[in-house]
Amino acid sequence: MTLKKLFAFYLLLLCQIMSAQSDSITKLKTVVVSDSNLKKYSASQSVLKLNDSVINKNEALLTDLLNFNSSIYFKEYGRGMLSTVAFRGTTSSQTAVIWNGININSQMNGSTDFNTISGSDYNSVSVKAGGGSVIYGSGAVGGTVHLNNDLSFYKRFENNLKLDYGSFNTIGINYKTNISNEKWSAQIGFSKNSSTNDYKYLNQYTWKGEQRWNQNGQYDVFTMSANLGYKFDTKNSLKLYSQTSNTDRNTSLITETETKSKYVNGFNRNLLEYDGDFGKFKTNFKTAYIFENYQYYADNSTNQYTFGKTESFITKADLGYTLFKSTQINGILDYNRTKGFGSGFGDNTREISSAALLVKQDFSKDWKNEFGIRKEFTDNYKSPVLFSLGSSYQFGKLYNLKLNLSRNFRIPTFNDLYWEEGGNPNLKPESSYQAEIGNVFTYKNISLTQTFYYIKITDLLRWVPGNGGIWTPQNTDKVNTYGTETLLSWKKQYGKNYFGANATYAYTVSKDIETDKQLFFVPFNKVTAAVSYSRNNISAYYQFLYNGFVYTQADNDPNKIVDAYMVSNIGIDYDFKFLDSFKLGFQVLNLWNENYESLENRPMPGRNFNMYLNLKF
Amino acid sequence: MKLTRLFLVALSASLFVSCSNDDDNNDPKGVYDNGFFILNEGNSDGGSVSFASDDLTNFTADIYKTVNGSDFAGVYLQNIFFDGDRAYIIAGGSNVINVVNRYTFKLIAKVETGLAAPRYGVVKDGKAYVTNANTYSYINPATGDTDDYIAIIDLATNKVESKIELGATANRILLENNKLYITDSSNDKVLVVNPATKALETPVTIGYDGDSMEVKDGVLYVLRAPYGSNRSEIVKVKLSDKSVTKITFPESLDRAGYLDIYDDKIYYTSNKSVYAITTTATAASTTAIATASLPAGGSIYGFAVNDDKIYIADGGDFGSNSKAYIYNLSGSLQKELTVGVGPNGFYFNN
Repeated sequence: MTLKKLFAFYLLLLCQIMSAQSDSITKLKTVVVSDSNLKKYSASQSVLKLNDSVINKNEALLTDLLNFNSSIYFKEYGRGMLSTVAFRGTTSSQTAVIWNGININSQMNGSTDFNTISGSDYNSVSVKAGGGSVIYGSGAVGGTVHLNNDLSFYKRFENNLKLDYGSFNTIGINYKTNISNEKWSAQIGFSKNSSTNDYKYLNQYTWKGEQRWNQNGQYDVFTMSANLGYKFDTKNSLKLYSQTSNTDRNTSLITETETKSKYVNGFNRNLLEYDGDFGKFKTNFKTAYIFENYQYYADNSTNQYTFGKTESFITKADLGYTLFKSTQINGILDYNRTKGFGSGFGDNTREISSAALLVKQDFSKDWKNEFGIRKEFTDNYKSPVLFSLGSSYQFGKLYNLKLNLSRNFRIPTFNDLYWEEGGNPNLKPESSYQAEIGNVFTYKNISLTQTFYYIKITDLLRWVPGNGGIWTPQNTDKVNTYGTETLLSWKKQYGKNYFGANATYAYTVSKDIETDKQLFFVPFNKVTAAVSYSRNNISAYYQFLYNGFVYTQADNDPNKIVDAYMVSNIGIDYDFKFLDSFKLGFQVLNLWNENYESLENRPMPGRNFNMYLNLKF
Repeated sequence: MKLTRLFLVALSASLFVSCSNDDDNNDPKGVYDNGFFILNEGNSDGGSVSFASDDLTNFTADIYKTVNGSDFAGVYLQNIFFDGDRAYIIAGGSNVINVVNRYTFKLIAKVETGLAAPRYGVVKDGKAYVTNANTYSYINPATGDTDDYIAIIDLATNKVESKIELGATANRILLENNKLYITDSSNDKVLVVNPATKALETPVTIGYDGDSMEVKDGVLYVLRAPYGSNRSEIVKVKLSDKSVTKITFPESLDRAGYLDIYDDKIYYTSNKSVYAITTTATAASTTAIATASLPAGGSIYGFAVNDDKIYIADGGDFGSNSKAYIYNLSGSLQKELTVGVGPNGFYFNN
């Protein structure tokens, strides 16, 4: 009873706290995490874990969840449209998205579109700042975003249905069921999030004086997931993760007269995982098949399109050995074969093998060290030796010092290598050195994490106009990025009143070494804040986002910027206590009707509303 | 009677005087009279128009925005053409033509329908003839190379009134002696259209990769710059009988860029240099009269010769503001202007 209450309390208030603190949740019941290395090898870096209670409070697509709850900067081509990130001042292909331990950034363009992912398809979304290429490979330069499905092995039959209806005909249907006992576990679900997205542009009129609105902005994101686990005995278990998704989106117009286009993309991911736990010796084998495709209709009134698709086959063997009580070693072998076929880059296959060694050494409860080294082998490019070196020391109860040094990279994509014309087969990977110091202060109910980092990136790829006007990618740029990240979380109970507050602040300087200019689309400042309150059946929250201005041009022309903006959301829900939980909620998004753009000429909606029903049974 | 006659004479004299006064009057008709526009194509975030006065002392980087505020000129600004006191700015990526007063740059109207990837335009008798690339073959292999057309715009209403299907690709357009001449790099012909009958006449075969062209004394000069081992050429088409002669460039001038005729001389570019020959020359000159000191990665993307000056626009990286360079005819730099993204042309407003 008390346990259950405690659990509920945590669910309610544990917004975006550091993973170190969420241990108490995961330890309550037998839950098998899909990506054990995330926890095991992140003692010296900061991980922000957003669990399902936070996911449910945000708009369905991942852009909103992470924009309002983390220090990652988002560039959105209008609401629900293409959305890419800059994490610690790096490029959109220097943040790796990891699905249950597997890197799923597009093989074609290197990045992930965060508006094609619905947060509710996962049990948790974690944001790990800083380099991670030793474990996660290409693109883990600025940081990694982890989409995890955790399978539980206890007797359970639980259904979760969330229905959303909001302005601009925005509809969300998100369903998940968990069926499990001590041997079997199944998690099956689907999500469908769509909108006609025809919002008015605040105070914008055409030359004829007509109100401007978001034309051709409709989207529909559909995902089905099925995750299965089976425990043969205490030592052997097998898990299968499977997910299929289709995003059908038009592309919103920046002028009323332009040709209406459409972009359809989808993926299919399957991961089979075997875990063997033989005391000192642990094994983990993964086999994954990942398919991604897109079709671009330049004129959506015709059936003509350009396309691209890739199929990746990945196998991974992770052998762990506990050398002494304090020292664990993991050896990881990895083979990846990707076949790409598209109207822009022909038919190509690339094979990459890699070997990595990870060591974790806990000298004491308070002093933890990590070390990792990785090397890739491929014909496609010269691969640098990657490493990671980290240490965490807890000084008493109050203060935890973390140090981390790593070398990370981002490999050229199919577009970079093979685009016809212009693809450059002689590219090197983008490579970076990164150093960070993290200070974690914990006092009573307050946790403050302050991280200073410095990243030196070389061989940054840029497409430049070449001879005869043909654009081609070159390893031209060198960038220095440095800044601070601050994460603050607080929670408190006064009688029946539960309060929680969270905030993030990122200060980012990302300079091209040659020109000494800030990279475009990297804000110097970003702030997020959230407060929540609950009492009995009612809970309410307020979210705030401040995004500093960004330059839109490499030359930092002060006239070519996207202005800073402040956006707030407010929400309240009431649990009628039918079934296990029956919550009816109401949200006002962009409460103060801020007129803002994430990208120039692409206005975002003014004040709008959302209603939801969240059932657990 | 006499008085009336006298009066009439006096009246016509005064009219004449006032007329000639008007003609001689050099008072500017607006802020942007007596200067030139630099059209900045821009990237997917939209283009801009810069203005410099003839004496190069006044310069404004983005006059469209300065005058028209939040109105968006459009994506991929391709060309400006004039008629009377109006200027027409073609935004190829937005299927729109912005109609502005050429002296004040104030927006008057927009041509918003009937256009599909519009490229270049000319005006004859109150009608604009604008080439439209329509679909491209990499998206539409079936008809992408044959669906280009000329949109005929009634400039009184600013509406497309009809189309001339070209059955080929089309890009630059020129009006000479009541005929329209059209080139395109992926078309080996100069198309000939009679605007009066809207009929296609027998085209002139010049070879692929023909681009900039100009007419002088009944001869059409087209610069073509093929890829690979084919040499660049100036193709001369005698319009009276459509006979063709050529000046083939040496290898050192491969991938020639632009051509402009000024004062009986043909000026052309290759790489970052400008060369000149007389219109009667039979061989190309390989001695540069001006060489632009463009930054690394820069390339000539806009070119003109006018008013005893050479105008060069650096395409730049298409992500930052680029520069226009103005030289005198002996090749010494007169002025360097920081314009917008991807400057692609100069238009003289006098």
